[in-house]
Amino acid sequence: MDLLGQTLTLLPQRAAYWHERETLLIADPHFGKPEAFRAQSLPVPTGTTSAALARLDAAFAAVRVRRLVVLGDFWHASTSRTEEVLAELVAWRARHDELAIELVLGNHDRGVGRLPQEWDAVSHGGPVADFPFVFAHFPDPSDDGYVLCGHLHPAVVLTGRGRQRLKLPGFWFGPRVGVLPAFGEFTGGAVVSPMPGDRVFVVAGDQVVPVP
Amino acid sequence: MSKTRVKKVVAPVEPVVSPMAWFAGRGWTPFDFQHEAWTCYADGESGLIHASTGTGKTYAAYFGPLLEALGEEQPTEPPPLRVLWLTPLRALSSDTAASLAAPLAALGLNWDVGLRTGDTKASARKKQKERLPTVLVTTPESLSLLLTHADAREKFAGLRSVVVDEWHELLSSKRGVLTELALARLRTWSPGLRVWGLSATLGNTATAASVLLGVGRTPKLIRGRLPKQTVIDSVIPPKVERFPWAGHLGLTLLPQVVAAIDSGRSALVFTNTRSQTEIWYQAILSAKPAWAGQMALHHGSLDREVRDWVEDQLRAGTMRCVVCTSSLDLGVDFSPVDRVIQVGSPKGVARLMQRAGRSGHQPGGVSRVTCVPTNALELVEVAAARMAANRGAIEAREPYSKPLDVLAQHVVSTALAGGFFPDELLREVRTTHAYQALTDDEWGWVLDFAVRGGESLRAYPDFRRVEVIDGLYVVNDKRTAMRHRMSVGTIASEASVQVRFLKGGRLGSVEETFAARLKAGDRFTFAGRVLEFIRVHDMTAWVKLSKKPANTVPRWAGGRMPLSTELASAVREQLDLASRGELDSPELAALAPVLHLQAKWSRVPTPGQFLVERLETREGFHHFLFPFEGRLAHEGLAALVAHRLSLKMPVTLTMAVNDYGFELLAPTALSLSESDLRELLDPANLEADILASLNTAELAKRQFREVARVAGLVSTGYPGASKSAKQVQASSGLFYDVFAEYDPGNLLLKQARREVLERQFEQARLLAALERLRAAEFVITTPPRPTPLAFPLLVERIRGTLSSESLADRVKRMTAEFERAADGNAVKKPRGR
Repeated sequence: MDLLGQTLTLLPQRAAYWHERETLLIADPHFGKPEAFRAQSLPVPTGTTSAALARLDAAFAAVRVRRLVVLGDFWHASTSRTEEVLAELVAWRARHDELAIELVLGNHDRGVGRLPQEWDAVSHGGPVADFPFVFAHFPDPSDDGYVLCGHLHPAVVLTGRGRQRLKLPGFWFGPRVGVLPAFGEFTGGAVVSPMPGDRVFVVAGDQVVPVP
Repeated sequence: MSKTRVKKVVAPVEPVVSPMAWFAGRGWTPFDFQHEAWTCYADGESGLIHASTGTGKTYAAYFGPLLEALGEEQPTEPPPLRVLWLTPLRALSSDTAASLAAPLAALGLNWDVGLRTGDTKASARKKQKERLPTVLVTTPESLSLLLTHADAREKFAGLRSVVVDEWHELLSSKRGVLTELALARLRTWSPGLRVWGLSATLGNTATAASVLLGVGRTPKLIRGRLPKQTVIDSVIPPKVERFPWAGHLGLTLLPQVVAAIDSGRSALVFTNTRSQTEIWYQAILSAKPAWAGQMALHHGSLDREVRDWVEDQLRAGTMRCVVCTSSLDLGVDFSPVDRVIQVGSPKGVARLMQRAGRSGHQPGGVSRVTCVPTNALELVEVAAARMAANRGAIEAREPYSKPLDVLAQHVVSTALAGGFFPDELLREVRTTHAYQALTDDEWGWVLDFAVRGGESLRAYPDFRRVEVIDGLYVVNDKRTAMRHRMSVGTIASEASVQVRFLKGGRLGSVEETFAARLKAGDRFTFAGRVLEFIRVHDMTAWVKLSKKPANTVPRWAGGRMPLSTELASAVREQLDLASRGELDSPELAALAPVLHLQAKWSRVPTPGQFLVERLETREGFHHFLFPFEGRLAHEGLAALVAHRLSLKMPVTLTMAVNDYGFELLAPTALSLSESDLRELLDPANLEADILASLNTAELAKRQFREVARVAGLVSTGYPGASKSAKQVQASSGLFYDVFAEYDPGNLLLKQARREVLERQFEQARLLAALERLRAAEFVITTPPRPTPLAFPLLVERIRGTLSSESLADRVKRMTAEFERAADGNAVKKPRGR
């Protein structure tokens, strides 16, 4: 898709690729969410971290990525930084050692601490401009450019003939703000109400489909 | 008010009399069945006393222990806990405690009676921490909680008998299983324990008794007095043709309902949902404004104080009419009530008789219930219910078999109460009816679940709920202990928010999903008032009274009752009578025009026929199938047929079900012939195909919600929950997905699927239905427009979906439809809420 003269490709891995800057954008991975549950003695199986990283690898295989930008909520909670999760993240980073990584801190990242040292990432405490875009966590419009953000975990409800109804994670681009779906799998979605003129895309299996 | 009645139950000082004199003093003579129960108790027996409500079951069970105590030396201080009285509703507990305390002083027994429920105040709890009263009235959940304390065994050492009141209400639920496990615990501690159940008469009373007593014990069955005479009649709509066919609320019959209420002194109006109580209350009040102050509402979401007040007023006879749900099915008598009105389908014979029994407590009184149909076809159900009641065809209630979620909860509870050795606990658990066939593997899995969170080979790191120390399974973590105690119980409930006035004053609760949809200024009816919504804050919806009319009514998700097997089969018979022109009941006679239309456009099926109607509308291609097996079996049949169809071609179907049949709706051309249908309804491979259909039909996911909560997976939010508590809230749907993906062998998933099969689809009934259909004559019609039988299905909004198209194809088809519609200026569009 074209956005302010720039080319964005929306990937079914729940990521957006900015061609001109060879940048992959993801939002709300919520790494270590099952671990946070287990720390409170709620049993949740392992496997989501490696599955998420494998999804990231799949995106990398599809497009050429020099820079990864995480639009907030990298972590789920302070109890998410377990050794197992850190080990998987570090091993993944070792396989992509030429990548530049940036993180805009989200509300869940607060008090959790930084990204793993080995990730060698740049953290931003708030919105950061990269003309013509502003990378942010929260969907607040900015005077510095078009905001690309997360936080909402948008989902879209489709209805069709035969009384059919589908709820799917989606990308939602308004006049000044564009919201990415949550990258993390073990996260819920909030149904959004697009305004006329907004551009909406849903992630349907291995495809991203525009919704009129 | 009841609060004061609850706190202290002190009988007035009166001279000590003999038990028979005490009865005589009340103008009573003990019934034969009461004598029989007392003798059995004295002989050390356990069993079940069954009779309809208000016939003296309480004292039949209670005087056994009393007579025994009178034969002993009287202590100077009230003795420790001796009689445990379990009641399914905490609302009943204070009335029960009052009637248990009533004879004590007169008989010269130095006993005390106490309550322990979720409402018990901290001060009373503290006292009970030191000593439990001689007679304790409690609920299954509160009992399970008491048993999590380390000194429970000591406190229960003097226990001689347990009475389980309204056992039929618990039997067919996980609360019943919780009760079974608690009783097994108590029997281990006191081997001579006598357990008595009190129950309404069921289709399987003997099974009910043996479930209560556990494996290897022979229960005594004592039958109480015969029920009062019951009259079942209906409000016949004056003009059936104009009667709403769909599940609208039947408010057209308001004048007749008001007249029926007016003809008595005090009436109960039962509806099937809480939303309907609100609607009917408003409607009756606007028809009879003079009744303001003599009318009330009663349902489970109203604040306890409100409900207590309503019950007190009912007993006092000051209420003209109370509109209620099943919340007033149980409990002590409301003697002044002389009219019972049932709005909507009664769904079951036993349920209708129980509601009828709420009236006619005056001497020589007759129980009478008047049914108000909310659609024309419900008239058939009334005629069918009357026929089944006259024959005594009363429903059975099936007990649960080894639900692992309840066992997982019990294991943690027992670990909390000082710990256990697995072999000992397994032996005890297997004495219950529910877990008698528990395999070693299942037991091992439940232990692993408690200790490691999952199966042993894939231990979950950092997870610790139960620890094993020298072979003893214990809980040491205080946070785990607290969270577990907060979640003990098995009643799954939607997350709810309190409804409160800005000025203070609690009204009750509504579901969070409803509150979340409200915008400031929205007006809704609740507790019989029109409230203006202001905001939600801290799990509370703040409101103020409004003078303007409401623009919405809260909806509470609640399982909708299926038509029972007994009633469904009676309905088929009634239709048969009708199709042969034998309209000898007022209901069938009134329905004649509707049945005539059905016959003209399609067919009125006889019991040997299976009717299928095909229809194309703007919405798509409809097939309406009418097995008349009740909505649960229809859900299973719909899932089965849709699944088998989806294997043959890529298709997405939505399904709607009701008690008479089900609908398959396809967006693209679909026309099934008799041979197609016979193949789709073949009983062979039923179980495998149904299980496969569950994976696509999302039904197991729904059931998993309850399983996950009972097993302690999902922690429910509570007011003032800390941030860390909020961070571990996730919907059970998410849990289901993550388990299905990363731990597919999880037995809780399997249990959820099994519960769908057995409980939701009534697998046995499903198989019987398929066999019946195989022998039936298929009648396939193509009516010109929706028939009276099909119409209620056509307008049913709650639908399941099953698809064998790829997600991307579905989205593309739906968006293409939208494009076409947009070209043609039609109205459908993607919808956000």
